[in-house]
Amino acid sequence: MTDKKLAIALAGNANVGKSVVFNYLTGLHQHIGNWPGKTVEKAEGTLHFKGYTIDLIDLPGIYSLSTYSLEESISRKYIAVEKPDLVINVVDASVLERNLFFTLQLLELGNPMIVALNQVDVAKRKGIEIDVGKLERLLGVPVVPTVAIKGIGIFQLLEKAIEVAEKGKREGRVQVRYGEEVEKRIADIVDAMKNVRSPYPPRYLAIKLLEGDEEIVKEIDEAAPHIALYAKKLAKELEDMHGHSCSTVLTSERYEVAGCIAREAQKMIPPLKPTVEERLHSITTDRIMGYPIMAFALLSMFFAIFALGNFASELLGNFLYGLGPLFLKIIGTGIVGELLWGGVIEGIIAGATIALPYIVPFYMILYVLEDSGYLSRIAFLMDNAMHKMGLHGKAFIPIMLGYGCNVPACLGCRIMETERERFLAAFVTTLVPCAARSVIILGLVGQFVGIQWALALYAFDLIVIFLLGRAAFRILPGEPTSLIMEMNDYKLPHARTVLKQTWFRLAEFIKIAFPLIVVGSLSVKLAEVLGWLETIAAILSPVTVTWLGLPSISGITLIFGVMRKELLLVMLAALLRTTNFAEVLTPVQMVVLGLVAMFYIPCIATIATLVKEFGWKKALSITAFEIIFAIGLGGIASRMLAPIL
Amino acid sequence: MERKSSEGRVVPLTALRGGETGTVASIRSGHGGGVGMGWGFERRLMDLGLTPGTKVTVVKSAPFHGPLEVIVRGSRLALGRGMAERILVEIEKE
Repeated sequence: MTDKKLAIALAGNANVGKSVVFNYLTGLHQHIGNWPGKTVEKAEGTLHFKGYTIDLIDLPGIYSLSTYSLEESISRKYIAVEKPDLVINVVDASVLERNLFFTLQLLELGNPMIVALNQVDVAKRKGIEIDVGKLERLLGVPVVPTVAIKGIGIFQLLEKAIEVAEKGKREGRVQVRYGEEVEKRIADIVDAMKNVRSPYPPRYLAIKLLEGDEEIVKEIDEAAPHIALYAKKLAKELEDMHGHSCSTVLTSERYEVAGCIAREAQKMIPPLKPTVEERLHSITTDRIMGYPIMAFALLSMFFAIFALGNFASELLGNFLYGLGPLFLKIIGTGIVGELLWGGVIEGIIAGATIALPYIVPFYMILYVLEDSGYLSRIAFLMDNAMHKMGLHGKAFIPIMLGYGCNVPACLGCRIMETERERFLAAFVTTLVPCAARSVIILGLVGQFVGIQWALALYAFDLIVIFLLGRAAFRILPGEPTSLIMEMNDYKLPHARTVLKQTWFRLAEFIKIAFPLIVVGSLSVKLAEVLGWLETIAAILSPVTVTWLGLPSISGITLIFGVMRKELLLVMLAALLRTTNFAEVLTPVQMVVLGLVAMFYIPCIATIATLVKEFGWKKALSITAFEIIFAIGLGGIASRMLAPIL
Repeated sequence: MERKSSEGRVVPLTALRGGETGTVASIRSGHGGGVGMGWGFERRLMDLGLTPGTKVTVVKSAPFHGPLEVIVRGSRLALGRGMAERILVEIEKE
């Protein structure tokens, strides 16, 4: 060992403070990307300690190592196949039994391991006292108590990690002992597998074969089909004995062991009064009070973001656009200067004036809500409403995000369990008016027709979302899934983790959206310089003029809108040569334009995100559908509204 | 722990009122038994600790037939109603 490198993986349930530990250890030296070819996030970082360069990987938060989800399958493969020098299992001390269930599965994989017993302070408040020494003996691996959020125990954890990783092997292996009849069959399969080569330990393979784990069964079936068959027969025997599926039997027994260890290692004296967290939980999920509290929380969040965002956006925009004359002076007002400024730079400015003032605070608040635990309460309260669209409560989160920007919202659909639900949620999300579309609705309809009409548009949007979501849910094949979600205790969000997550999201947004925004605005500028805009407007006039009843130039603005929706108004003002739209447009025209802008297409950055998440075909079908839908709706609205407005 | 004898009544989890506790008897799978719904919700429920023989307490349910809040093995879970209906629990005789 000359280069002294170590690979360490952090593994554990969701919401146990894993990312906080990760942030403490790696500081700024981290990189968040995706697992190769997967839409699962991979967080990596490096740190230097005692002469070692340590590569740390923060595995996704999961409850089990079966192949139920992509996250679980990825984590298991990483631990078994890549064989990191050490696994740090972060455990929530306040929900010990459930967490130990996962610990036991990690132990079965046989890697060197230590346990970070996190949130011991929370556990203490709940009246749970854990005997660390006893837990160490029962698990056969070192246990370090930590309070990651305050940085307590992190140094000791790292020292212990090095110590164990240096030994390279785990001492005193503690294994889950299943019932006699199960153990006998495990031994039989292990015996039969003497010649099978696999990165997984034989005992682990045997257990997973009995459980009927898809990936493992497939692997063994290819290498030695008779063993897979043999295991199936043994599993059937166990099933007949117990009257439950074999995986149920093994999971139950594993939980039995986890329960025994937890009961032996912890002393529980429930506090007489419910804790503050407990009371907060009761109020915020109350059958009656929960909803007004949620409405208040969300509305004040939106109000704060839009009020602040609007102000900051204007300030930033004035400043950046103000640089125009200076820029053109330097580069010259020729065609190159115009293309560079009007195409490239203005595109970047437009992106920046949306991204920074709206998306950053939006993400920050979102992560505060998530980290504190309120987001899961919102999902709980909204589950029923989401079910009407064939989605469950968690889908409310990307929909909420959509009001800020559709790009992160579509990425946020990853929290849904199945591909079908991810797609459904993304479709619904693109119908949510983002900040840029709100600028149009409020700036055009709200200001010149009346705020009640702007609000009516929002209300109408909700109805459309509901109806289209419901229709899509009916049409798309597959079963709806139900909500299964842990509601962790409320806790104070960790500022550094929130800031970092916001930062990484912003970077992701810039990476996906900015190149397209620049290319888009450059091509529109090019068309303008070449004098093609009038031609395009003329080609579109059957739709814009005849069907929608809008002035011909609106065709140009709608094309612009694909690139940068917020620029639709700016373009409109430039082409109509006034910002007092009431002079040139009738109220009906304004409402129709607002309506079409709200629905007609997710912007180019959103389309790119959809392509990234779902492939070209699905992305383009959403796009095509929404164009047709918006135009159809606009024409009908223009005819229906004419007698009213 | 030791299984309760089959003296108690077996009902869906949704039949429990707030504050009531039952013991998981079995989980009914989706269509026609067997593998059940494609995404393995049974496995997920087991992994979260709802194995047969486990005590589960219903805390409350969200209004208009919303999801259930339950406590299992010291952790608090939200379960969609459709799923909760498939979880059969045994309640002790009074």
